[in-house]
Amino acid sequence: MTAITARSTAMRAQTWWRPLSDGAVVITIIYLLLFAIYAMNEPSALSIFSITSLINNSTPLALAAAGATLVIVCRGFDLSVAGVVSVTNVVMAVQPLEGPWGALGSLFACLAIGGFIGLINGYLVAYLRLQSIASTLGVMIVCQGVALVILDAPGGWVAEWVSYELTDVLFGVLPVSGLILLGVVGLWLIFLRSDLAVAIYAIGADETSAALSGIVTRRVRLLAYVGAGLLYACAGYMLSAQTATGNPTAGTPFIILTFAAVAIGGTSFSGGSGGVIGSIIGAATLMLLQKVLFSTGVSSFYTGLFQGVILILAILFRGAVVALAARRSAA
Amino acid sequence: MEGSKEPAAVSAWGLKKSYGPTVALEDVSLTVNPGEIHALLGENGAGKSTLVKIFSGILPPDSGEMTLLGGHYRPGSIMAARAAGVSTAFQELSVLPNLSVAQNLLLPRAEKGLFGLNSRKATEERARALLEKFGLGQLDPRQIVAELALSDKQRLEIVRALSRDPKFLILDEPTAALTDVDWVFGLIRGVAARGSSVLYISHRLSEVRELCGHATILRNGRSIASVNLAGADNAEIFKMMVGRGSRERRRTVQKAKPAAKVALKVAGLKSKTLRDVGFELREGEILGVAALEGQGQQGLFRILGGVERPDDGHISVDDRVRHFKDPHDAQTRGSGMAFVPEERKADGIFPGMQVTSNITISILDRLSRAGCLPFARERRVALAVAEKVELGRRYLGYRINELSGGNQQKTILARVLATGAKTLVLYDPTRGVDVGTKQTIYAAIRDFAAKGGSVLLYSSELPELVEIADRCLVIYGGRVFDELAGEEIDERSLVAGVTGNRRRHRTPVRQETPTGAEASA
Repeated sequence: MTAITARSTAMRAQTWWRPLSDGAVVITIIYLLLFAIYAMNEPSALSIFSITSLINNSTPLALAAAGATLVIVCRGFDLSVAGVVSVTNVVMAVQPLEGPWGALGSLFACLAIGGFIGLINGYLVAYLRLQSIASTLGVMIVCQGVALVILDAPGGWVAEWVSYELTDVLFGVLPVSGLILLGVVGLWLIFLRSDLAVAIYAIGADETSAALSGIVTRRVRLLAYVGAGLLYACAGYMLSAQTATGNPTAGTPFIILTFAAVAIGGTSFSGGSGGVIGSIIGAATLMLLQKVLFSTGVSSFYTGLFQGVILILAILFRGAVVALAARRSAA
Repeated sequence: MEGSKEPAAVSAWGLKKSYGPTVALEDVSLTVNPGEIHALLGENGAGKSTLVKIFSGILPPDSGEMTLLGGHYRPGSIMAARAAGVSTAFQELSVLPNLSVAQNLLLPRAEKGLFGLNSRKATEERARALLEKFGLGQLDPRQIVAELALSDKQRLEIVRALSRDPKFLILDEPTAALTDVDWVFGLIRGVAARGSSVLYISHRLSEVRELCGHATILRNGRSIASVNLAGADNAEIFKMMVGRGSRERRRTVQKAKPAAKVALKVAGLKSKTLRDVGFELREGEILGVAALEGQGQQGLFRILGGVERPDDGHISVDDRVRHFKDPHDAQTRGSGMAFVPEERKADGIFPGMQVTSNITISILDRLSRAGCLPFARERRVALAVAEKVELGRRYLGYRINELSGGNQQKTILARVLATGAKTLVLYDPTRGVDVGTKQTIYAAIRDFAAKGGSVLLYSSELPELVEIADRCLVIYGGRVFDELAGEEIDERSLVAGVTGNRRRHRTPVRQETPTGAEASA
């Protein structure tokens, strides 16, 4: 639950079903239901190993969706996620830096790449006023081309420290990637208490009014794209940790799944509502679905079908609750 | 005025602003003294909102000078204007629906707490103090603005402008959504009493008289005069708003024979923007509609065109009640109604398609034979209607976006004529076209009516209604506010009506329209 939507629901939380108009609440319920099905069919589901692997699988997509959320909340669109993930992944595989300091160096290199690409996106969209879909599509294609130049076929090795430590379990119970996700959630909660965050929501709801209220809309938009680029870079970094190898097309599956995760998580594509936490759980739901299908013996060819159905159901359900709330308050 | 010792708080002279070829401000000069509440009056499109934007730092003027409290004033941004002490409550309400009242009040910078982070508590406390200071203590600072009534959003917009302690306060139609104005008047007088200046924009002349001493009148981007309101009566002011040069009287009125059949009857129409609209349109009649922007006329025309649906009320065509599901329905039910929408570029033309296709697009099903369109037949039909609107035969093969605005408008008129509809519903059909084309369009409309067709016509230009309408409805606040017929239709009466001011009736209001009775209230 984001602070902003949480407050709006708290304001009118007189009936038990009101919180259901918050997308993050809805997707959390769906996640828990799916997890229950998974646990019933797969007795080992509750083991540390299995939970760690589930979180590890979900982390890259969750980080990418968190980044996309920043842009979508201020009514933008950003396809460059696939490009950033691919470029950071091949850089990690071609230039492995060993040891913990190497891992830190790699992280900064990835963040620099993601931040730079975000800066380009933001400049094109906010300052040159290009259409966000078209210009970030261009940036994505350029990035994929760059990834191919750096590494023309799957291969290379990601530094061992990264691929072991970042997918490991601390003290036998805490998956490292889960801690990283919690860290992102913590940063998001702090970020929500900044004027920049308020400005992002304001622009998403009504750009003209935001400008008339004294918000410098261009700068805020630019920063949203930069923030998104940084989070995509983190996604590429964690994907490299998981796959331990490089692939110039590693980012391609992210294009569709990132936006699906954001939508499932309750962030509206018309801007001004939603938040990062819903998107992270949305991403986790999409990944959990694969396990559920596997555990119930359904062929993996059905994965896409079920992911799409869940997406539509989540949106329908929330729409129905919002409509119900509107009718109640009108009455 | 030149002799006053006190320097003017705000002055501007020779302000010019154009957007491409469109000139919004031609030459505007304005002086507001310290502690003065100064009114800005003008018709739609006179340049009021452009002037507000320039003062507020949203637009830079192309040329001209401004001073504030004796110093040079040329804000580069809204925040620069605010820093200089200029604060604006905008007509289009700039509060954000997804933020709380408190967040809105303090935008763009909330109160800080620990570690420089926004403190919700401090922000809400500061907001509560501000709300109470300005007599709006009943609003909860935590409430999300989307849940507020429109009038509370307007109050919030006003309080937000006041809370910055402005030296120059601009209020653009601050009472549009308020029924009780005492609260806002008290606040405005308080600001003036502290020595700040206020620019007050409203089309409600009675309010302006109550609040302001002087007014500057804008017309076609020029400041026409600065008048002492106490010494000018409404008629004089309207005359200045409209312009002396306008034709006082025109053409011979072709009164629709009262015996003519009623082609279209609307009764008790209600929707989001319409409160209660009823009228009759007879065969052979041109019925004008006059209104300022946003009085509900858009909704009325869109309902008649089948684009929107009403919440309540009846539309009868040829004495039968109709419910239009979509524009196709409106065109084909009974004797047919054809609609020309407001936005030519967005809703009217099919850019990239030939003029011929643009004309025949509404009647393709009639032209087709076995699902195929015989081109010779299509061209013959297009030629016939193009002649009626004097659209040159050579244009038919052009793509419509290669034509001038005037010829595009003729094409759209040709399209609705081609449908064979007996009733035309035209929303501002001459917007942005040159004088010659206007005359052609008038001629085509008159010709259509002379042959027994009925026309409902909204125009943003009042002289146009004076010239062409047999009868004219004035819509104000979602109702038929007044109705003028024949010789009564002149610009001054129309300006008075569209701004919500009663004209003095020499004859009692006609009782046949359902809203006529309300006029005496």
